[in-house]
Amino acid sequence: MNEILFSNPVIVYLLSELILFVLLLIAFIISIRVLIHWDFESFSPLQFKLEQQAYLVTTITLFVFSMKFLLLLYFAFTVDSLASLIAGAMCSAGVIDANEYGSPLLALKLLILFGLTLWIWVNFYDLRTKNYQWFKEKSWIFMVMFIFITIELLLDFTYFTHIDTHQPVSCCSALFGQLEGANPLPFGLNISTLLILFYLLFALVILTLLTHQSLLYIVANILFLYIAYFAVVYFFGTYIYELPTHKCPFCMLQKEYHYVGYLLWISLFLGSYIGINSAITALWLKEENQASIKIVMSLLSFFVLLCSTYVAVYYFKNGVLL
Amino acid sequence: MIQIENLYKTFQHENTSTTVLNNINLHIQQGECIILKGVSGSGKTTLLSMMAGLDKPSSGKILIEGEPISKLPDLFASQLRAKKIGMIFQHFNLFDHLSVRENVMIPLIPSGLNINEINQKVTQSLNLANISHKKEALASHLSGGEKQRTAIARALVANPNIILCDEPTANLDRTNSLLFIEILKELHNLGKTIVVATHDPLFDNVSFSNTIIPMQEGTIVEGTVVNE
Repeated sequence: MNEILFSNPVIVYLLSELILFVLLLIAFIISIRVLIHWDFESFSPLQFKLEQQAYLVTTITLFVFSMKFLLLLYFAFTVDSLASLIAGAMCSAGVIDANEYGSPLLALKLLILFGLTLWIWVNFYDLRTKNYQWFKEKSWIFMVMFIFITIELLLDFTYFTHIDTHQPVSCCSALFGQLEGANPLPFGLNISTLLILFYLLFALVILTLLTHQSLLYIVANILFLYIAYFAVVYFFGTYIYELPTHKCPFCMLQKEYHYVGYLLWISLFLGSYIGINSAITALWLKEENQASIKIVMSLLSFFVLLCSTYVAVYYFKNGVLL
Repeated sequence: MIQIENLYKTFQHENTSTTVLNNINLHIQQGECIILKGVSGSGKTTLLSMMAGLDKPSSGKILIEGEPISKLPDLFASQLRAKKIGMIFQHFNLFDHLSVRENVMIPLIPSGLNINEINQKVTQSLNLANISHKKEALASHLSGGEKQRTAIARALVANPNIILCDEPTANLDRTNSLLFIEILKELHNLGKTIVVATHDPLFDNVSFSNTIIPMQEGTIVEGTVVNE
């Protein structure tokens, strides 16, 4: 336990999470007071004070939420750096699987990232109204996110304090490999149908994005995100590793693979999160942003292009597919 | 035009609170010239900052052409200020390393006008402030009076309806101060609404219609003089 807790990346990571949480706690306490008494039409001393405090809360939240994006990347780096300390772990996959808290923590972090992106969108629109039109909506999202972030902090500490370095863990081949012929792909798909679905869903995402069909776009992008994960792990990843049996979403984050995993996962998740949240705000707040379409298209196209390039380059170099 | 109701401003420092504006009520019509007179610390500059949306009140209402500038988010307060308000400061607030023309041009940069339109407006403004002969000179090479006329040209370049002047003659000699008052007269004749915060006695006898409002310790006190 000490080996993990006293490793430099873990100390830096947990300390950063703690500092950000303290800032959010301050913002949370102020937010409750602001939400209870908020009346924008009033010119009273209390309302002017609340407006100043709301500005402070927004500044703190925007800063903390921006840092949380960077900290998620640092979490991936931290977990990867622990692989050398844990028996049997070859990459982050084994470290995440070292106890029962790792996978829920990772899932929670991805969920929080989604919530933060939604808050940033609502904040973006709120600051473009003369009367802070979306202030209450923004504050409620913040409240919910604060609860999730509190759970995340507890899970962070529980996870890192419960890693037993002497207990052997499974490596990624065992975790993501095809054991005893079982099909790990969803809906009983095989690789060919998975790939067809991957490219079709990408086309549908772009089409619905350009035609502003928000509801259909949300469904298409969620499906694309889900299918893209399996496509990367079980098909494109093998071309990154240049090994048909190497199936892992984490190894590609390592130096040997030029940290390409960061590029892939950031472009996929950020593109999808921005797109889905932009569509949600279009349906919910009736606010649309043309710039978000360009950003989402760029990020998701980059993701698909990068995945496909690995396959094409391998084929041109070796004349065969894996 | 400018409507101020029940305006208070209090500064809090540790456990001490200082009220610098205390229940200010003021209605200024389009084309009026208001001279806020009072000694240092009477709240003139704070009141002017509130009118310009540079500072927020502790409570109370300020409407600029119906818009509650005291409640607007920074983005909208800046937009309102850029369109409707020109400010002239005691210390001129010029960029010393830029020329007179460049200083005057600055407020128009975010406006989206093309360079020909900008140049046209800058020339008009320089002529109005009587500083066009120095347009290529660096601001750091100007005399106090010339700096103030550059500041006037900058305040006028976006053609605002309201001109706010904070101690505009405090750094000028008598001749330049009288010149400044002459320019104010021209602006008044153009129908601009002018608010001057000053303690300069030269403003007691200006040759155009104005209202002198005395301020003391953050309040408007008795003795308002209307000069027709």
